[in-house]
Parts: sequence; structure tokens; C-alpha cells
Amino acid sequence: MRFHQRQLANGLTIIGETSDSAQSAAIGFFVKTGSRDETPATSGVSHYLEHMTFKGTERLSALQVNEAFDHTGAKFNAFTSHENTVYYAAVLPEYLAEVTDLWIDLMRPSLRDNDFAMEKQVILEEIAMYKDTPQFDVMDRCRSLYFGNHPCGNSVLGSDESITAMTADQMRQYHRDRYGPNNLTVACCGRLDFDSLCRQIETGCGKWKPVEAGRTLSPAVGNGRRQRLGKSSIQREHICLLSPSVSVQDPRRYAASLLGMIVGDDTGSRFFWSMVDTAIAETALMEFESMDGVGVMDSYIHCGPDNAKVVLELAEKTFADLRQNGVTPQELQTAKNKVLSAVTIKCEIPMGRLVDLGMNWVYLKEYLSIQEEVRNIRAVTLDQVNDLIRDFPLEQFTCFSLGPETYPPLP
Amino acid sequence: MPKTAQIHTLANGMVLLSEPMDHVQSVAFVFLVPCGSARLPDDACGADNVLLDWLFRGAGERNSRQLIDALDGLGLHRSCSITPHHLVFGSSLEAGNLAAALELHADILLRPRLEDEQFEPSRQLALQELEGLEDEPRQKVMTLVQEQFYPEPLGRPSLGRKPDLQNLTAQRLRDIFRGGFHPSCGLFAIAGRYDFDAVCRQLEILFGNESSPARTSIPRGSSGQPYRHVHHDGAQVHIGLMTPTIPITHPDYYHAMAAVSILSGSMSSRLFTEVREKRGLCYAVGARYHTLQDLAGISCYAGTTPDKAQETLDVILAEFRRLREGISSDELQRAQVGLKSSLIMQSESTASRSGGIASDFHLLGRVRPLEEIKQQLERLTVDSVGRFLREQPMDKFTIVTIGPKEIRIPA
Repeated sequence: MRFHQRQLANGLTIIGETSDSAQSAAIGFFVKTGSRDETPATSGVSHYLEHMTFKGTERLSALQVNEAFDHTGAKFNAFTSHENTVYYAAVLPEYLAEVTDLWIDLMRPSLRDNDFAMEKQVILEEIAMYKDTPQFDVMDRCRSLYFGNHPCGNSVLGSDESITAMTADQMRQYHRDRYGPNNLTVACCGRLDFDSLCRQIETGCGKWKPVEAGRTLSPAVGNGRRQRLGKSSIQREHICLLSPSVSVQDPRRYAASLLGMIVGDDTGSRFFWSMVDTAIAETALMEFESMDGVGVMDSYIHCGPDNAKVVLELAEKTFADLRQNGVTPQELQTAKNKVLSAVTIKCEIPMGRLVDLGMNWVYLKEYLSIQEEVRNIRAVTLDQVNDLIRDFPLEQFTCFSLGPETYPPLP
Repeated sequence: MPKTAQIHTLANGMVLLSEPMDHVQSVAFVFLVPCGSARLPDDACGADNVLLDWLFRGAGERNSRQLIDALDGLGLHRSCSITPHHLVFGSSLEAGNLAAALELHADILLRPRLEDEQFEPSRQLALQELEGLEDEPRQKVMTLVQEQFYPEPLGRPSLGRKPDLQNLTAQRLRDIFRGGFHPSCGLFAIAGRYDFDAVCRQLEILFGNESSPARTSIPRGSSGQPYRHVHHDGAQVHIGLMTPTIPITHPDYYHAMAAVSILSGSMSSRLFTEVREKRGLCYAVGARYHTLQDLAGISCYAGTTPDKAQETLDVILAEFRRLREGISSDELQRAQVGLKSSLIMQSESTASRSGGIASDFHLLGRVRPLEEIKQQLERLTVDSVGRFLREQPMDKFTIVTIGPKEIRIPA
């Protein structure tokens, strides 16, 4: 694997990790914008804009865009999070240039009024679909409870009201403000010629004007509140816990990620033995989620509504024990082995590697080879994990629970 | 593209399949044990889902905790599933830990402890998983439609049926295990980095002494009703449907693959274009091909708000029926390149390949070289696919809806 990097005069950065043994190539356009960069009036615009990007440009209609991608056999899509909008494609090497041209074109979409009206219906359907997905719904609600007025609590999808009220002009303005070349990173990996790709991107994007697309960072530590909502369509209890942790810029993120695995991996973790092995909960997971300037430990537990109380007691007991006694050397070693093998397997496929490669650059402006990632994971010590437990008490969680209507509020 | 798969048969008849891959550090293997949902006694639907959990609660010299610790310590990623014919035990891991992982699997598959006190949590978890399906209408609708589409017992839900799970006892499940769980009657497939001779020698020692009784065929009953509605107080109506088509063993198989791809393989496909892009009826709409040895179907899912549900179904059915009017050359080109690039990209993943060669051997009695699949796809013409679609029109449907509103099924 070889690393390459180039920056155009207008600030657009191109990074690549090439490998001649790969069968495919992957490319991603990473726009540093997401729901945290929205106002209440534009809630959901980042995600809606991601949909609208596929609706065409001056020279292409929506159907022509889809046909042009499909002509190459590319596996292509996009996703929007609280902080990023990422457009990506995995493709056979001979089609990479064609797909790259399409993405360059689409980064300057037409955003036509009639397409905007039609896609609004699709977005409202997507919001409805997630209302019928309690696992997603509860996380969104818990996030909003935890972050309060902090922008990381903004919903990615927006609401029925904000989407219905949104105008195409608001979206056009948002696009002008956020899709500047200096707020965009192109990452690529697999079998490809980096220099020729850079020439292509320079030709296509070199004239774009930079923008002032800032982002204000502020801390968030949650509030320890607990809320429950009963819904007639739900039969099981879906519980989300959020507590503070380190940000994506913090070197302690490796320890935090291992801690998440020790507490809440789907097998062999503290949660697994206390709740799943005993059949008190069907699912009990914890993950570390790092963001720009903030981070959280994020748990999702799914159980029968009668068990909600005991599940919360068990979580509290787990957290108290970790605070008192720390994690064991064997737990840490096992977590490292799991993370390392996951990294190996994922990075064997260009598309698997692409998102980590791009995100590292977006947040840290640095390249970390797979070997360096592996070294950093291996280097985490027991003390570092235990210090993290002390500095960011897991028991100070904010909790949202979603379940059947006929059950009482949380203790 | 990788070369042809190797096959080795153990003295007791157990088949081992191998597809080594260059340039990877990982290995993936899968055991297919012919004890799937259709092979269970009529009143024990879901017993194999209980068994999947129970098997991992101690085996050989190791109790439950020691076993999970040993598996996790190898950084092994497990993925187990249930098909009508098989219980599937899949694993991916770093190449250096392969021998130890195979040894643990011999314990799990041949010498599980199946202790009384570990049975109840396994059964409770299976019951919870089944109840959890109530909160996932998207999954539930596809489970129900498959159950109604295939003749008993081939469409049985892998999560089981509640009364059967409630009545299941440890002794009953132990009897099912002793009578029907024979790894050596099944298949083992491996892909990635390893020494196949060494793997064969090790498996001969580990599995070679297990006797393998003759395989029996599965008797078949009748299919379910053509339409069923389940009331659910959610935000959307979830529509699941299936229509019969030819199985993988049929000479026209690649024509069916092309037809499904044209219907729903990508964003320019007919369902996405007509249902979502032109009419804004859904966020999620898609169809996929599903095959057993001698029966196959195309399944389709769409989720939409109640007022749009009737139109969504009508448009979907019209698109299935319209296929018999033929396809365009552009559509065929996109289907061919899409299917070929999926094939090549799958060949980069050890887990995809181990699963792929196992499934080929089960369904066809041989492993298709990737080159053969590629050639077969290239041989398709507009006329040959058109002929296939006239001969095999898609106009008989099994339909299930879940949601606040029932819809009218056209005659």
C-alpha cells in the first residue's frame, strides 16, 4: 500500500492509498457537513441535500444520473451523519474515471424545484420508516435528550414539520455555504493511478471558489436525565444510554473504543455475561462514538418491558464495578484481538478501507496506515482504560426508553 | 479472478471445499450442517435457533465462559444463520489462528455439553428474538411472506413459532440434536490464506470419526394463502410479496438473474425508477432472488404511508407484469456489468467466497468457477431474456401487508 496526498489551490484535498493487488477501486467525496451544521429552520437539510445531489445537474436528469452510474456497474451510494455527508462508489478499476467524473459533476447539482418537491415525499417516507424502527427512534430521542441545545443533538432526518416547510432556496443557500472545495476531501483506495485521478479532479473542481464553512465546537456532558415514551405500536422495551467520552481528536480514543468493546460487544462482554447470557435482555451493546470536539459511550439494550428495571440496575452495577475494580488484563487483550482482526478483515476490501481513510483526514488532517492503526491499538495500556473510566463515569448516563404504552416511567 | 475451487472428501464422506486467495491476511470458513428449519419435527419449529445458542454454552473441556473466552481470544467473528436445509456456522479471523479455531469448532459441533441449566436461557433468548420481530415490521413482513410462499416445511420461519418454542424441553432438543445433527453429512468450505493440505489433515483427525447416516429428502406440504394482512399501529404499511421463478439448477438461471437486476438491481432499475423516483411513493423498495435446490422466488419489499399503500402495490405489480413485454439493450448492459462487478468485488472478501462456494456445492453439487459465471452473463441477449420472460411471466403473487391499513389485491 502506498499513500498519496495532493491539495488544489482552492483547498480541495485528495488523498489515496493504492494497492496493485486489489481487484477494485473505491472513491469517496467527503463533505464536512451534517445535521450539527444546521439551524432549526433547516433541520434535515444535509440529508435531504444528499438525496437531491442524485437528482441531476445542468447536463443530466435524475434518471440519466442513475443510468450513468449503473452503466459502470458501480456499487454507489451516500450517507449523512451529524457531522459528514459522504458520497462513495466501489467500482472495477477500468470504470473509476467515469464514476469520478459523475461525482465531480454531482457536487454541483441543479436542485430543480420539481425534483425538490418529489424528493420531499421520499424523505417524509424515510422519516415514517424510522418511526417504525424503535432501535433507531430511541437513539435519536436519547441523543436529543443528552445533547439538549448542543448541535450534536440535531436529528439527521429532520422532522415532518421542518421538511415540509423547507424551500429549495434554503437548500441552495446551504449548498453554497457548505460544499466549497476547502470543506471537501476526496479519498480513494485500491487499484488506481493517483496522478491521473488528481489531474481529473483538478480539471473538474479546480475553479470552485473556497467558502467560509466553519463549525463551532463546544463540549457536552449530558444531564443524567431519564425519560420514557410509551407507544401503542411497540411491544418490547428499547433502552438507550449515553454518557460522555473523548472526542475524535483525543489520543485516548483507542482506549475508549476498547472500553466500549469490553463493556458491550455482542459476545463475551460485561453486558453480554450480565444480561444476554442470562436471557434478561436479548441485545445489550455499547459502542464508543467519537465526534468533532465531543464523544459519547452509546449503549442500546433491548428486552421485555418487565425486565427494564432490572436491566438498568445491572447496567449501573456493571458501571460501578468497573469504576471500583477496573478492567482485567485478559479483557483488554481479548478486546484488542477482536478489534485487530476486524481491522484486518475490513481493510482487505478497498470499500472497507475507504471510510476510515477519509474520516481520519477529515478530522485529523493526518494519514494513519493500517500498520500504525494496529500499533496504536496494541499500545493501549490497562491504566489508560482505567483512567478513562475514572475521568468519564459511565454511571452518569442520560437514558431514553421506548416501550409499550401500559408500563410505568423509568425508576 | 481466482482459480477453480479444490474439493477434498474425508474418509467418512464429509466434503471440504477450498478457494485460496492471494494478498489477504485473513481466512473465512463455514460449516453447513444439514439440520435446518425444514428438517425439524413438525412441532419443533424454532428448535434450531435455540440449539444455535445452546451449542455455544460449553463444549468439550470448556464451560460456557471458557468457550466464549477462547473464541473471542482468537478475535474470531462469528456469523451463524438458519436456512431450510442447514444450520450455518461461519467464522472469519486472522490466518494465524485458524488451527485453534477449527479445534474449537470440532468441540462445539461434535461435543457440545448441552447442559440442562443452560437450556432455559437459550430458549428464553429465542422467544425474545421472536417477540422482538413484532417491533420490526420490515423483517416480519418478509418472514411471513416467505412462510406463505413456500410449501411446508420449506418456508418455516427460522426464528420459530411461539407454541413450539414454549413447549420445547432440553431433552427434546437433545434428542433432535442426536438424531439429526451430523456435521459430516454437511459441508465445510474455506477461503483466504491457509494451507489446504494441513486443513484437510486436521479435519480428518477432528471430524473423520463421526459416522454419517444417509441423507433423507424433505416431504412437502402445501403453500399458504395468497393474501394476508396483519394489523399494526405503526407509521407505514409494510408490503411483502413473492412470485415464483426458476431455481439455480434451471438452464435459464442467468436469465432470471438479469430479470431481477433489471427490476431492482440498482438505482436505474424499474422498481426504483417507477415507485420512488417518478412517484415519490416509498423510501425503501426492492426485489431479490431467492433459490432453494428446486424452488425459487423473487421477493419484494416496500414500505409506505397508508394513503400511498394501494398505489405502491399497484405500481409494483404492474412492473412485475410488464417484464414479459421485454427489455432494452441498455437495461441488459447495465444488468450484465452490475452482476459482473458484484462477482469480482465478492471475490475480494474471504467471507463472501467461503459462503459462495458452500452454497454452490449445496445447490448444484459443484462449485462454479467465476469465469464460467462471467461467460454465462456475457452470453445473455435481449432476445434470450425476452423469451425467458414470456415463457416465465411473473404474474402469480403471494402478498402480506403489515400496518394500520389493509389494501385491495387486484384479481
